[in-house]
This record gives sequence, C-alpha cells and structure tokens, in this order.
Amino acid sequence: MVAGLTKGERQFAIVISVVLALCGLFLAGAGHQRPLGVHGLLIAFLGIATVFVVLSGYIAPEPSEERLSSYYDDPSKAGIIIAMIWAIFAMFIGDWVAWLLAYPEMTFDAAWASFGRLRPVHTTGVIFGFGGNALIATSFHVMQRTCRARMPDQLSPWFVLLGYNLFCILAVSGYFIGVTQSKEYAEPEWYADIWLVIVWVTYFVLYLRTLARRQEPHIYVANWYYLAFILVVAVLHIVNNLAVPVSLGHAKSYSAFSGVQDAMTQWWYGHNAVAFFLTAGFLGMLYYYLPKRAERPIFSYRLSIISFWGITFLYMWAGSHHLHYTALPHWVQTLGMTFSVMLLVPSWASAGNALLTLNGAWHRVRDDATLRFMMVAAVFYGISTFEGSFLAIRPVNSLSHYTDWTVGHVHAGALGWVAFITFGSIYAVVPILWKRERMYSARLVEVHFWLALAGTLIYVFAMWNSGIIQGLMWRTYTESGTLAYSFIDSLVAMHPYYVARAIGGLLFLIGAAIGFYNIWMTVRTAREEPLEPVADRPIASDTPAGAVQPGE
Amino acid sequence: MFGFHYKLERHTIPFVLAIIFVAGIGGIVEIAPLFTIGETVEEAPDMRVYTPLELAGRNIYIREGCYACHSQMIRTLRDEVERYGPYSLAVESQYDHPMLWGSKRTGPDLARVGGKYSDAWHVAHLDDPRSVVPQSVMPAYTWLDDTQLVTEDLGQHLAAMRRVGVPYTDKMIANAAADVYGQANPDSDRASGVAERYGEETNVRAFDGEPGPVTEMDALVAYLQILGRLTDAAHEQQALEGDLR
Amino acid sequence: MAVAQRDPHTGYTTTGHEWNGITELNRPVPKVIWLFLAATIIFSVIYWVLMPAWPLVETYTKGVLGVDQRSSLAENLRIAAADRASWTQQIETRNFAEIQADDSLMQIVRNTGRPLFEDNCATCHGMKGQGGHGFPRLTDDAWLWGADPATVAETIRVGINSTHNETRVSQMQAFGRDGILDRAAILDVVTYVRSLAGAEPTGDERSDSIAAAAEVFAANCAACHGESGTGNTELGAPDLTDESWIYGGDRQSVYTTVYRGRQGHMPHWEGRLSALERKLLTLFVLDLGATKQ
Ligand code: HEC
Ligand code: HEC
Ligand code: HEC
Ligand code: HEM
Ligand code: HEM
Ligand SMILES: [Ca+2]
Ligand SMILES: [Ca+2]
Ligand SMILES: [Cu+2]
Repeated sequence: MVAGLTKGERQFAIVISVVLALCGLFLAGAGHQRPLGVHGLLIAFLGIATVFVVLSGYIAPEPSEERLSSYYDDPSKAGIIIAMIWAIFAMFIGDWVAWLLAYPEMTFDAAWASFGRLRPVHTTGVIFGFGGNALIATSFHVMQRTCRARMPDQLSPWFVLLGYNLFCILAVSGYFIGVTQSKEYAEPEWYADIWLVIVWVTYFVLYLRTLARRQEPHIYVANWYYLAFILVVAVLHIVNNLAVPVSLGHAKSYSAFSGVQDAMTQWWYGHNAVAFFLTAGFLGMLYYYLPKRAERPIFSYRLSIISFWGITFLYMWAGSHHLHYTALPHWVQTLGMTFSVMLLVPSWASAGNALLTLNGAWHRVRDDATLRFMMVAAVFYGISTFEGSFLAIRPVNSLSHYTDWTVGHVHAGALGWVAFITFGSIYAVVPILWKRERMYSARLVEVHFWLALAGTLIYVFAMWNSGIIQGLMWRTYTESGTLAYSFIDSLVAMHPYYVARAIGGLLFLIGAAIGFYNIWMTVRTAREEPLEPVADRPIASDTPAGAVQPGE
Repeated sequence: MFGFHYKLERHTIPFVLAIIFVAGIGGIVEIAPLFTIGETVEEAPDMRVYTPLELAGRNIYIREGCYACHSQMIRTLRDEVERYGPYSLAVESQYDHPMLWGSKRTGPDLARVGGKYSDAWHVAHLDDPRSVVPQSVMPAYTWLDDTQLVTEDLGQHLAAMRRVGVPYTDKMIANAAADVYGQANPDSDRASGVAERYGEETNVRAFDGEPGPVTEMDALVAYLQILGRLTDAAHEQQALEGDLR
Repeated sequence: MAVAQRDPHTGYTTTGHEWNGITELNRPVPKVIWLFLAATIIFSVIYWVLMPAWPLVETYTKGVLGVDQRSSLAENLRIAAADRASWTQQIETRNFAEIQADDSLMQIVRNTGRPLFEDNCATCHGMKGQGGHGFPRLTDDAWLWGADPATVAETIRVGINSTHNETRVSQMQAFGRDGILDRAAILDVVTYVRSLAGAEPTGDERSDSIAAAAEVFAANCAACHGESGTGNTELGAPDLTDESWIYGGDRQSVYTTVYRGRQGHMPHWEGRLSALERKLLTLFVLDLGATKQ
C-alpha cells in the first residue's frame, strides 16, 4: 500500500498520522480515567502504527509514471475485504442479539454483552461498517471507470478509507464501553462525529477532482447517486450531531436540540440516512454493476432522471413518518405521510428501470448467480419501498410502529436490497480488481445466493408475523370494550418468531461467510494468467476532455 | 425538462448545487417552523429540570441502551392511553437533550413508569428481571448495584445542559455533587438542599435500598421514578378533554 | 461510438453516450409513471386540504375538516366510554356483594381484570397473584389489612408505605440492626416464630429455647403481631401462624426480617388507575382467591 504512494504523499501521510496521534494523546490525557481516555489511546496507537507502516515502506522506490495509465484500485481492494470483515462481524452480532431476544440468558454477565449495547454495534456495523466500506470501495471503482480517469492522487483515497474505518471503530468500540449519543444511526460521540466530517469532506473533494478529470462530458447516473449520497449524508450528519460536549475531556455531549425539535431532526436524519446511505449509495452501485453484468443498456435514461430527482426531493420530507401520533404536531405528520406516498413513484421507477434493463438478459439471470443477486436486490428494493410507503400511512403506522413489523421492513431493505446488491456487486468487481477471469467458485456463489435468499425470507416473514400479531394484540378489545391482552401476553407470543428470525439470520450469516471464503480464495489462488483487459484503463489524461466523444 | 437536464449533467458544480437545493427544501420547511410556531410546545409552568442524580441516571439509561427496547412516547391512540396513561406532550421532553422517544417496544413504554413501582422492585428487576417477571427478555444489569456513581463532574454536566438551553441556576451547578448525595440519603444534612433547589415534590430516598455511597443503581432508579412526573401537564390536558379513560 | 446506436433487442436508440461500455436507451418515460405520479399528487393535495398540513410562520393550515389527532382521540374515547357504559355503570353504582353475586358481571370482571392486573400488578404479585419474594400472595386468606372488599379497595387506592398522602403505613423495626435484640435472642425468637407456623425445628435450632423466646416475643412482637402471633389487620402486621410468608419462612429469611425489619412498599393507584379500574381490580383480586378454593 505504501509502495503505491509517491515520496511527497508518504511524507504527508506521516504528517497526518503524527497529527492524529497527537490528537489521540491529547484526548487520552484530557479524558484520563474516563472512556474518552480509552479512545484517545486507541487513536494515538493507530496514528503511531500508521507512522510505522509508512516508515517501513518509506525507502521503497517510488511508483513509476506507468501507474498513470491504469486505474488506482488498491483502496478498492482493501475496502472490499474490510467490508466483508465488517459484514461477518456485524451480522454475527445481529444474530447474537436475535438469539438474545429469544433466550436472554445467552450472554455473559458483563455490561458490554448486554442487548442495549450490542444492538447499536450491529446496526452501526452493518450499515456503516459493511455498507459504508462497500460504498466507498465500489464508488472508487465506479467513478474511475465511468470517468475513464484515474483518481487524482494516491493518498486521499487511503485517507478516506482508513479514516472512515477509524470512525467505525470508534463508534463500535464506544458502544461496548458505554459511549453513545443514543441517536439512532448517529450514536457516535462528538469527537468521532467531527472526525467523520473531515473524512467526508476529503471524500467529496476526491470525487469532484476525479469528475473534473473525466473523459466523457456527461456525468453518468451512478455518479449522480454517489454524489447525492456523499453530499446529503454530510448535511444530515452535521445538523443532527450538533452538540455541546461536557468538556474536552469528556466523551459525553448534550445535543443542541431537545424534545420535539430533536425528535424531528433525528428522524429527518434517520430516515434520510436510509434514503441516501442505504438507498442512493446502493442505487449508484446498481446503476453501474447491473447493466455492466447484464451487458444491456439502461432501460430508459429519462426514467433515471425522474427517479433520481424524485428521490432526492421527496425523501427529505418523509422523515416525520417515524413520529406519527406522537407529540410532533399533526401538520408535520401529514406532510411526512403524503410525501412518503408520492415517494413510491420514483422508488418504483428506479426498481423498474433496473429490472427492465434485464430485458434481453434473462438467460444470464438464470445462469449467473451474481446477476441474480442484483436482480433479487431490485425486487426487494421494490418490495421494501412499497412497504415503506404503506407503513407511512398514519392508520397503518398506528399498528406497525414500535413493533417488529418495522424490523421486518428494515431487513427486507437491509438484507434483500442492501446486502444483495452489495454481494452481487462484490462478486462482479472482485475478479476485475484482482485481474482474475472469474470467482474462485461459481458453485459457492450459487450456494451463497440460496442461503441468503432463504435467510431473508425466513427473517422477513417471521417479523411480518410477529409484528402484526404484536400490533394487533396491543389494540385488541374484549367485547366489554377493554384491552384484551396484557403486554406480557404479547411478549410471550413473540417467542417462536424470534427463534425463527434467529435461524433465518444464521443462514444469512453462513452465506456471507461462504462468500468471504470464496472472495479470499479468488484473491489467493492465481490459477490462470492474470487477466489484463485492455479496455479497463483510463484514457490518456492528455486527451482533452470530450475529445473521445465528438458527438458532443 | 430533459433538455435542461442534458445540459446540467455536464457540469459538476451546478449539479452539486442542484442536489443541495432540491434536498434542502424538505428539512427546512418541516423543522424551522417547529421553533417558530408557539403551540408546538405546550406551556407548563410546573415543569422542572432533572436533578443531577436523575440526570446521571438518564445518562446510564442512554449508556445501557434501554431506549433500544423501551419507548417514552405514548401516542394519541386509544389503546395506548388506556394501557399507559395520558398521551405524551411535547413539553414533557422539553429538557431532554437528546429526546428518548424510542422507536421499538420490545418492552413496555416507560413514559409514565415513575411511581408505578417501588424502588425495591426496580432494584430487584434491574438486578435480575426474570426473578420478578419470569417471561421477561430484558437483560440483567447486575453491576449497577455495586458500581459507585461518578459525581464530581456532574456540575460540568449541568453547565453543558445550560449551554444548550436548560435553565440550571448557578446554585444548582455549584451544588451538583452535594445534591446527588443528598437526594440518595434522606437522613443526611445535604437532603434539604435538594428540595430547596428542585422543589418539595422531589423524591429524596435511598433508591437502591442502602443509604450511604451513591451507586449507579441509585441514579437509574431515581431517573425511572421521575419519568412522566416532571410536570402534571399531561394529566391536566387529559382532564381538560374529559377524563374518559 | 459517440453517435446514438440502435439497440437491436428493443429497437430504441441509445443517448449516444457511453461510460466504459454502459449505454442508456433514449426511451420516453412510461405513461404509467406519469399517471401514478399524478394520482399520488392528487391524493396528497386532497389530504392537505382536509387535514392540518402546511406551516405558516407562526401557525399552520388547520384543514377544512377541523380535526387533528388530539380531537380524534378525544372523540374515540368518548364513543368507547359510551359503549362501555352498559356495564361500567353497574360496576360503579352497585356494591361489592351485589356484583360478586352477579355471575354475568363477574364474568366481565374476570375478562377485563386480567389484562389490567397483568399490566399493573403481576410484575409484583405474579401473573396468577401467587406473590413473590417480598410481594404478598393475593390468592390466600392471609390478608394483611383484612379481606373486606372495601379494605382491599382502600389498599389499592392509597397503597402501603407509598407516596400517597393518605397511605397505609406499616413498619417493623430493625431489631438486630438497631440493637434492640442481640443475636442469640433473635435466633431464639426466629425458632419460636417458625414453630408458630408449625415448622419443625431444623438441625441447629434449639427447641428448648422456645420457652425463653416466648417471653422475648411477648415483650417485643406481640404489640403488633398479637399475643398468639395471629397478626393485626389494624397495623398491617401479618399473621405468623399461617403458612403464608411474604419474605420466606426459612430460618435465614426470618432472621433477616427480624434483624433488618421490614417496610414493604405497595404503590398507590389513585391518579394512575380510575376508580372504576380500581374497583374492577379489587373484585378481580378477591375472585382470584375465591376461584382457587
Ligand atoms: C432486550 C430488551 C430490553 C432492554 C435492553 C431493556 N429492557 Fe426493560 N423491559 C424489557 C421487557 C421485555 C420488559 C417487560 C417484562 C418485564 O417487566 O421485565 C421490560 C420491562 C421494564 C420495566 C417495567 C415496565 C413496566 O411498566 O412494567 C422497566 C422499568 C424497565 N424495563 C426498565 C429498563 C431499563 C432502565 C433498561 C436499561 C438499563 C431496560 N429496561 C432495558 C426489555 C428490555
Ligand atoms: C411495586 C410492587 C407492587 C405492585 C406493582 C403492586 N403491589 Fe400490591 N403490594 C405490594 C407489596 C410489597 C404489598 C405488601 C405491603 C406490605 O408488605 O405491607 C402489597 C399489598 C397488596 C395488597 C394487600 C394485601 C393484603 O394482604 O392486605 C393488595 C390487595 C394488593 N397489593 C393489590 C395490588 C393490586 C390490585 C395491584 C395492581 C393495581 C398491586 N397490588 C400492585 C407490591 C406491589
Ligand atoms: C411495629 C410493629 C411490629 C413489631 C413490634 C414487630 N413486627 Fe413483625 N411485622 C410487622 C409488619 C407491619 C410486618 C409486615 C411488613 C411488610 O410486609 O413489609 C411484619 C412482618 C414480620 C415478619 C414477616 C412475615 C412474612 O410473611 O414474611 C416476621 C417473620 C415478623 N414480622 C416477625 C416479628 C418478630 C419476631 C417480632 C419481634 C421481635 C416482630 N415481628 C415485631 C410489624 C411489627
Ligand atoms: C445476519 C443477518 C442479520 C440479523 C440476524 C439481524 C438481526 C437484527 C436484530 C435482532 C435486530 C434488533 C431488532 C429488535 O430490536 O427487535 C436488528 C436491527 C437492525 N438491523 Fe439487523 N440483522 C441482520 C442483518 C442486517 C443487515 C445486513 C443490515 C443492514 C444493512 C441490518 C440493519 C439493521 C437495522 C437498521 C436495525 C435497526 C432496526 C430498527 O431500529 O428498527 N441488519 N437486526
Ligand atoms: C419509499 C421508500 C421507503 C419509505 C416510505 C419507508 C418508510 C418507512 C417507515 C414508515 C418506517 C417505520 C417508521 C416507524 O414506524 O417507526 C420505516 C422504517 C425504516 N426503514 Fe423504511 N421506508 C422506505 C424504504 C426503505 C429502504 C429501502 C430501507 C433500506 C434498508 C429502509 C430502512 C428502514 C429502516 C432502517 C427503518 C427503521 C428506522 C428505525 O430505527 O425506527 N426503508 N421506513
Ligand atoms: Ca453522533
Ligand atoms: Ca429503531
Ligand atoms: Cu423512514
């Protein structure tokens, strides 16, 4: 990794790492004997370790100019592997907490191992660890290919990738030791939040710089989505995390907003984290890998435009559907509900655009599990957005809110859509990145596909059942007009579904582990001559932009 | 429209600005008026702030992730007010930075749990939920009882809360550590200060059953016992609408 | 490659752009999308007109229906109360004995009381009212304050050692901790108390000390628990001669009780449960014991 950096970049990397280590030492001192001190030491240690890593490669010869005629894929490779590690870790925790809800004794008698601390480890681990790394890795790959340009430098992609993972590590280790802001999907504390802003701005600038070097005058749809993902997440993140720390020596902070305003800000964030992290980002993935793998043109360029701007505009209004019937004023709920309903149109337009792109390639879908992953992802995207718009209707939400139905919806989206499109894209990109002809084993991809599908279906059906039963039991009346069930009655009724969900989750996890093995073996076993596709190169950068596309 | 877009998609910066503009509208229209429309947060003159012990308990509630299973928001639905009590008002979480309304009810809503059970029950329940509720799936929090509460920096916590708009007085901030001790030690000479600063209604008890050193259990139980009782506004609202529960 | 190409499969041309092999068809947006969009927009606009929807600076549009979630709830509750009135009126107006004698009313009590009991009381008293450590059993005849329905109802209303200002108060002092009795005396009285309830002395209990202990009991305990230990419902002091224990009847538990004293806390339910709900619960609790027998 260091060998790919120029001398100047190596020096800069050392400077950054030293500054980081110093910040860590400062926090360690200021937060002495408090959780912040632990994190300070962790940051300092990682900073120093990076200094050593860079130093150890410092004398290696500089990369030749030759490099400029190829894409810079090392960060993408690392990102894919890191994403898979997060996937296994976080889904393991997910399955663990799933078992905990069925058998609460299945844990250690220790604070770090209690449900309330493990649950955010799972959600952050899958969304930010697995999803985020996959997004960063694929975005680097996709933006270079669709711009036909190499990234402008070698250091900033590494800074983005590793800096982002530092954020994830601070987040997850924080929950274990009791550091959390409690804002769902934004739990990390103020110092991690600030760090993410720095990383994210670098990411954005890197994206812009690469786009500036592109050889095709038009920006491809996948990049619209990746751009929207980066931009909007930045805005959401900054606003929702505004907080006042107790002191520079405390991990703890108090959020700037309170009560109803805080709730609305939180779910404006929370809902759009779903929209721009779990949806827009992955649509970027879909818009590149699906047509590429299917070898078909996008069904309709104009439909892409409608759905992109529809999603960007409408999603931002929908957050209040998380607060129906609460102390949030009714008018905001009305807006949240109606915009969620309108949102279904661009959502289905995207799903439709993806599925119809497969017209003419259905035989590939049949034979190629990788493409089938993507196809199923588009289907689940359609299902979960339909379900989402349905759940956003106030009377429906009065039943579903607070119940497992929401969790079922989440995982229809998270497993069926997010994880499926990611696995599909990873299977598509790994052979390209490592210059292999194909994955180590097509059969294992097939096995993974069926395990993942079975796991998802079991999970989602179990939660639909439990959620609806739960919601109904809470509001069932006896003929005398009083509540028919106690809360405990509903809790007891959940048990079989919790067991089923945990089994479904286990299947999904096993599938992911098989996937990781397959990727690992693809990387390790060079059975054939490394493949060097002639086409997979940037167009020489001295060609003036647009020159390749004289049609403009 | 498509012709315009055909041009727009060639220029990165205008495209970026377009995204920010289009995505910005929704949030502004929905959030900003919550600060300007007066009736968003009800008037409640009797609303009081958390004592330092309750605030410490609240922080433990956050740290342990209780909000992952418990909501603190009773919706305006018949079954909810019949099961849990008057629906929650915005003013009740006015001093909650952040709010803990929650999004999942693996366990029951806790918005009105204050006073519903005895301290001893909470201690037994938190130590081992299944000893009192055999069907429970709630984790056991065995370490709260024997972990001493860190109190010396609670003044800083109150000061930070004041910076985000909670009306803590200088006296409250200066006496934070003493008030923590006093609230958990009714027979100590520091107990009277708590009632003086936070009101006569404030619970002053040995919450974990043992006077003397203040534990995390004291703090968490003190917090649970105040849930829904910082103001009477919700009950008054219910009475106003004709108490038909 | 810059010029639009015709896709042989669909017959449409591409837009003429190509990104590393990916092209797009220049196909119009399907009509159904526009229709669908129009439909959802029309739905939304109608909804905005009817309900509270758009913010103005210091107020918001209230909607022509003039309802919001609070007024709808109030309306629902009004209707529900009216629907229930047929039986709730009877429960409210008739006395305990009358209701207990009325089978159909008691059936309603059982149906409506169970979830109410489980949501509020079962956490302490057990799902079936069987009690638990520190929480009395409600299905036996051992009533601390008496079995009379009015008494039970009062206990539920004000609680025991609760924060209600009319609460029932019952305390047993800490004989050991406060130095009133020494260890040997406590051990003796423990043996004595256990024998009252018919427990056979265990290994290290000296049955010969019972006589001495009887004196200790008479001097210290009888004031509350009565000469013969049968308790006093005026003070909420339990009968020690039955087999029902709140805190356990084994040697260690009884020792702890005498050493540290006891002050059970039963929350009050006035202010949380309505008078009707409390009456239902009183009937339900009394019925628990009755159905057991
Ligand atoms: C795994 C989910 C879970 C977590 C985490 C959890 N609880 Fe619970 N809680 C439950 C369930 C289920 C019940 C209902 C059964 C019972 O009473 O134990 C419950 C009941 C309760 C009750 C009684 C509510 C009532 O009205 O009966 C209180 C109080 C409570 N929990 C507090 C807490 C606190 C404080 C924490 C964190 C320190 C916490 N819970 C964490 C699941 C959870
Ligand atoms: C926090 C735990 C708790 C809850 C909840 C609770 N109780 Fe109790 N209850 C007690 C305790 C403790 C006592 C005994 C007090 C004592 O030892 O003096 C008691 C005593 C009683 C008694 C008096 C028994 C006697 O022998 O005279 C009745 C009746 C009763 N409870 C009914 C209820 C009902 C009905 C509810 C629900 C509305 C309820 N309790 C909820 C703890 C509780
Ligand atoms: C001031 C009145 C008072 C005196 C004196 C008193 N008791 Fe009690 N005792 C009570 C009350 C009230 C309770 C019930 C407390 C509760 O339920 O929380 C009780 C409970 C008990 C219990 C627990 C019963 C159970 O079911 O677990 C035992 C045993 C007992 N007393 C024994 C004694 C002995 C032995 C003495 C004398 C050394 C004594 N008491 C003196 C009032 C008194
Ligand atoms: C092995 C697979 C998985 C299992 C067994 C699993 C299990 C769980 C469990 C048990 C919960 C807690 C539900 C509750 O509190 O009742 C949860 C929550 C959640 N999971 Fe997963 N999960 C898995 C995979 C994923 C993936 C891949 C993602 C995202 C990409 C994801 C995203 C989430 C989110 C966002 C929540 C929070 C839901 C909410 O708050 O409503 N999960 N998961
Ligand atoms: C049209 C699109 C969608 C709409 C309108 C929508 C709507 C909703 C609604 C109404 C809820 C329940 C809120 C509540 O009652 O608490 C919800 C929850 C959730 N949805 Fe969606 N959804 C959509 C798409 C998706 C997709 C594609 C994902 C991808 C993973 C997703 C992830 C989630 C998550 C994680 C939650 C849980 C939030 C929480 O923690 O409570 N949603 N969504
Ligand atoms: Ca945060
Ligand atoms: Ca949630
Ligand atoms: Cu949402």
